[in-house]
Amino acid sequence: MKAPSTLSFWSARPYLVSGLALALALFFSVAVGAVWIPPQTMARLLAALAVPLDLSDVPPAYRTIVHNVRLPHAILMALSGAALASSGAAYQGLFRNPLADPYLIGVASGAGLGAVIALALRWPATLSGWLVVPLAAFSGALLTVLIVYRLARVNQSLPTTTLILAGVAVSSFATALTSFIMLRSRDELHRALAWLLGGSTVNGWTPVWAAFPYIVTGFLVLWSLGHVLNVLQFGEEQAHQLGIPVERAKLLLILAASLTTAAAVSFSGLIGFIGLIVPHTMRLLWGPDYRRLLPLSALGGAGALLFADLLARVALAPQVLPVGVVTALAGAPFFLWLLRRAKSEFIW
Amino acid sequence: MHRSGFFLTILLATVLLVACTAGGQTLSSLPSPTSLPPTPQSIRLRDGLGTEIELSGAAQRIVSLAPSNTEILFALGAGNQLVGRDSFSDYPSEALQIQDVGGGFGNLDVETIIALQPDLILASPLTAAEQVQGLRDLGLTVFVLPNPLQFDDLYTNLMTVASLTGRIQEAETLIVQLKQRVQSVDEKLSGIARRPLVFYEIDGTDPNAPWTAGPNTFIDMLITRAGGLNFGHDLQGDWVQVSLEEILRRDPELILLGDAIWGGVTVEAVMARPGWGELSAVKNQRVYPFDDNIVSRPGPRLVDGLEALAKLFHPDRFQ
Amino acid sequence: MKIGARLSLQSIQVAYNGKAILKDVSLEVRPGEILALVGPNGAGKTTLIRTASGVLEPAQGTVQVNEQDIRQLTPPERARWMAVVPQARQLPATFTVVQTVMLGRTPYLGWLGFPKKEDEEIVQQVLRRTQLEDLANRRIGELSGGEQQRVLLARALAQNTPILLLDEPTAHLDLHHQALILKLVQQTVQECGLAVLLAIHDLNLVSLYADRVALLVNGRLQREGLPAQVLTKSEIEHAYGVEVELLEHPRLSAPFIIPHSNGSSERIAYVG
Repeated sequence: MKAPSTLSFWSARPYLVSGLALALALFFSVAVGAVWIPPQTMARLLAALAVPLDLSDVPPAYRTIVHNVRLPHAILMALSGAALASSGAAYQGLFRNPLADPYLIGVASGAGLGAVIALALRWPATLSGWLVVPLAAFSGALLTVLIVYRLARVNQSLPTTTLILAGVAVSSFATALTSFIMLRSRDELHRALAWLLGGSTVNGWTPVWAAFPYIVTGFLVLWSLGHVLNVLQFGEEQAHQLGIPVERAKLLLILAASLTTAAAVSFSGLIGFIGLIVPHTMRLLWGPDYRRLLPLSALGGAGALLFADLLARVALAPQVLPVGVVTALAGAPFFLWLLRRAKSEFIW
Repeated sequence: MHRSGFFLTILLATVLLVACTAGGQTLSSLPSPTSLPPTPQSIRLRDGLGTEIELSGAAQRIVSLAPSNTEILFALGAGNQLVGRDSFSDYPSEALQIQDVGGGFGNLDVETIIALQPDLILASPLTAAEQVQGLRDLGLTVFVLPNPLQFDDLYTNLMTVASLTGRIQEAETLIVQLKQRVQSVDEKLSGIARRPLVFYEIDGTDPNAPWTAGPNTFIDMLITRAGGLNFGHDLQGDWVQVSLEEILRRDPELILLGDAIWGGVTVEAVMARPGWGELSAVKNQRVYPFDDNIVSRPGPRLVDGLEALAKLFHPDRFQ
Repeated sequence: MKIGARLSLQSIQVAYNGKAILKDVSLEVRPGEILALVGPNGAGKTTLIRTASGVLEPAQGTVQVNEQDIRQLTPPERARWMAVVPQARQLPATFTVVQTVMLGRTPYLGWLGFPKKEDEEIVQQVLRRTQLEDLANRRIGELSGGEQQRVLLARALAQNTPILLLDEPTAHLDLHHQALILKLVQQTVQECGLAVLLAIHDLNLVSLYADRVALLVNGRLQREGLPAQVLTKSEIEHAYGVEVELLEHPRLSAPFIIPHSNGSSERIAYVG
């Protein structure tokens, strides 16, 4: 198909389409689950979110399921999907590499290490209200990025190649350490594995409130850097000559992307492919302008993860598959299909 | 634009397909409460996480999140107070009739649990603390039964579950029986001259470095109580990986295959492993498959495990 | 646009990995003139351009715009004084021509990068001037090398700066595009009084388009002055290490340079 990027930047169509897909995904995520709820009841429960309704004749179990299990879970998945896809897009732009994903510089392995340490040391589930494992994962993620950053810094600049290499090295180390700890503690191995495969183990509204500020702040910062990312596509030198403070921009991008990814990973576990594929899909559909690509990736990522999560919950009910497994199973063939189109389409 | 429309249609179609085929449970399809003699006063106990749990009466709608808890409940005669169980609960066979609530890949099917309207969820340290907290946040009562380290702790657990389910008498009877059996084993083993070295294989995927149980595990405790010496007793960690060389060096008298229940691990296959032919246990044909569940699930069958191990280690004492 | 800016490099020393690339180079580019920077490969032309634009920090010496040290300017300020036309290499293929040219307005756009009416008008003007109107919505990955180079020139022009730096813009271009690019630069200099530093390897183009020439050899400024002064037989042979014939251009007072082999022992097979 011809030049999708000729769509004017201000065209509302991409947002409408993505928004509609997300709305549908949200609707189905709340309406469908392991327990069947009659449509009328479901309609009333959904309406009760907007309008105060008398729900005294609705079985409390249904109400709990819809309002306190499915709804917060759907919102968390939407937030996480948005976080992963938008930071994936940002990294692809920053490193000018189509294989970049949000885990490139150590967020995932750091989060995994933090979580596994918390699990292995059998820390209590909550510490004065804070969820311990997600908090440990979050700290682990940010600490790892900090280490990678310090390692990769050369004088005042941050060469991207060094950054990637340092990220790979530190990630490998963290992953090895994680495996070692996991194998030393038998009972926790089961839980650690489950966490690492992706899927939120925590229910309810707490993780939503906890993750929301980080994800939203990080995303807004990334979005504001859309123009800067566009300029960076021509290389750091040309960006410099066009007046962009390149080192500062890189630091901001890394910080914001790491923040959103760390928050998403801490509460939803390691979910792959969303951060890699959704930006490519959006780019293929609607062009490479990052000012548009970032919010569209967020919308697309939210919808995609909701969709994957729905499959994970329902495909083998009552077994709940880890979402990471579903995204990998669905993601890999999708990625191959994308590659085939890319070859003929000259998209990158 | 054709392309985005195409995507959207596919998305819609798949989601609709999934939605129509999904969701098997309704409130009415799930078992309804049975009647039982009610206990008059409320029950208050502290669980394994240190949380004080209060029930207004014996629990009638229990969801068990660990196979050991399921076995305990059935052993106490509380099987028909059970309305839900995790995927791994497979003993006794009646347990398979109870509604499955997931947990196979680590995550529980919270919706089904809620729909079952349980008055007690009996968990174990196997359940992630965050999941326990999450269930509690939804207003459900979760009691985490701690892992016993010795038989006495097991008896305490049995009494705890009995208090929660109104089966005190059944528990007392059961405990007496279990104690008698354990004592019988101790007596038969008194004055044994030596302890055979036992290698208990937990995982042999890499035959050059199989996994065994370290100290402070049930397996280690049971092997010791049954008159044997656990290969991993002086090693570090709960699960330990040992090299084939070390096994050859220490040359255990018996090899127990705890991974035999997972399939693919047979005595013939193990004896045919390269390098394993040098072991005395293989030469003397003292390699046995072993039901891992009776030594790793912290329930009454641990006594079955003890007896089975003792008979293997000192057959002369058990004619 | 600011007019009448002067770019001066004073005693520039640039080293890389302990090796000196530029040794005590001083240059001045005045408004309304094209200063061609020539020299053999590896002489340091590109390094000089990068130092002048602020990408590289000199170990010693300063780069000044109207007597102000560029290190004291913020990146956007500097980008409003100087624009660079790099070689068209590895460009992001999916950007359209108009998107690319619009990026030239970056120093004026603010953090979020949303263009105002004025920016859009300037871009349209520049597209007209560089004859890119018909290609405006084409993706730059689909264009020829010459067209891509023109796009980069347009982007630099959209930046509306009094100083323009070009790094070998005619490398890899055919005759038509070589002439087109340089003519455009010449026109813009005449119309707007730009100060242009043009790194270029084709000596014959230099004599046609440049007002002054600076000859860089091994990181040192060998000679500077009018084309006829710098492009002499001895200077060229000394700098490039090859014998040349100089011919007088039929219409212009500029030399025409043809390299040839030394002596009849070496024959150039394709002369004919």
